[in-house]
Amino acid sequence: MTHPLEPRLAAYLSGRLPQASDVEVSALERISGGASRETYRFRLAWREGQAAHARQLILRRDPPASLIDTERRVEFEAYRAFHGSAVPVPRMLWLEEADDALDHPFFIAEELVGFQASPQVLFAGPYDAVLPRLAERKWTILGEIARADPAALGLDKVMPPVALDACWIRELDHWEAIFDSDEAEPQPIARAAIRWLRAHPPPPAQKLSVVHGDYRTGNFLYDESGEIHGVLDWEMAHLGDPLEDLAWGFNPIWRFGRGLAGGLIAHDEAVAIWERASGLTADPAALHWWTLFNCVKGQGIWVGSARAFIDGGNKEPIMVYPAWWLLNAQDRAILQVMGRL
Amino acid sequence: MTPDVPSVLYELAQLLLRNAQPGVPDAERANALTLSAMLLSLAAEVWDGAAENLVQENRALAVLLDDAAAEGDLRLTALRAENARLRGRLIEAHVAAEAAGDAARDAAIWAELVASTERRKLSISLV
Repeated sequence: MTHPLEPRLAAYLSGRLPQASDVEVSALERISGGASRETYRFRLAWREGQAAHARQLILRRDPPASLIDTERRVEFEAYRAFHGSAVPVPRMLWLEEADDALDHPFFIAEELVGFQASPQVLFAGPYDAVLPRLAERKWTILGEIARADPAALGLDKVMPPVALDACWIRELDHWEAIFDSDEAEPQPIARAAIRWLRAHPPPPAQKLSVVHGDYRTGNFLYDESGEIHGVLDWEMAHLGDPLEDLAWGFNPIWRFGRGLAGGLIAHDEAVAIWERASGLTADPAALHWWTLFNCVKGQGIWVGSARAFIDGGNKEPIMVYPAWWLLNAQDRAILQVMGRL
Repeated sequence: MTPDVPSVLYELAQLLLRNAQPGVPDAERANALTLSAMLLSLAAEVWDGAAENLVQENRALAVLLDDAAAEGDLRLTALRAENARLRGRLIEAHVAAEAAGDAARDAAIWAELVASTERRKLSISLV
């Protein structure tokens, strides 16, 4: 059957492909997950003269309300900046910030076909032999993101810069404000963590880096050899302390119950790979601060997810599942990082 | 759990009704039903112990805060509201203990916070 978005998307793409005729969108289907953006895959076919063309593409559309409210232009430009670099990302094609075409802003990208993203699949057994290689690639790529020059990539034009000694407070202020606005019930553990973070600030960042903001197992495409083909979900990308990005993956939530960083290798091995790739050092005390910060940030995301459902902006079950599954687990992660559990 | 279980069950019922209609794309129906099943499993897991856990926690908080937990209304909505009131007071007490350097009080509050996560722990908890 025809998905109702298909003819509307075909009409939009006809306007973006002036040399094309017989533009057709088919096989459009929503990909599971995607709590911050609705994600669909589809096939685009068209003719240019006598030649027929077809491509597999991805549509990322803003939902009515999201677990993370971000500018899709920032996400789009982050992908575009790293395309063709040592950081593998899908190629961006079109960004539409008006609501006319598909009711909400969206962007379209090439689909990287034939790879997996699911942690559940990764940890089901068949990939066990390649997990060390995958870990090497994972933290090497994150090191490349940290090493990159935001100005050379042009990302300082879309991501506000911040002083090296103010990276931490800008992020902490932002996420504490999320608690203030979104929490449906008091969060005594997260609030205690925030007080500790304010009382024990980290040293200034070694450099201003692009921070992916959600770099964890589950947000990249991998294959059966342990290679990574695409880093996804850049919707929280910003400029900041590169240790923030390293520490997000050390949030105990992202061990997936396996006792290993990212579910893949020992914490210290991951740090060593990242240090080699980035040319930076990960001071243990500073990394601990950022790990606890990221536990607070994670809780802010799950609190925001619950709020989007409660306020009626988004009643989809994907908004409930993170809150039910992770709110208490994230509290336990905070306790663990603070040495209380 | 937050959002509260009845409001989620209501939305899941609406979602199931929509997916019972013809014309829903297969992949979207599969996604909706899978997530619904996962949420129903979690609701089933917490259902029996929800009131008991809230009563126990509210009593523990009342003792710690030298407060009088209201127990006249045993509906989950009332117990949750009382729990939110007490946990709000717990934050104030924690701030005061830290400011006063009261290590014993601080340790007692942390012990209750750890216990609260044990009460809420799911079988699929990642931590």
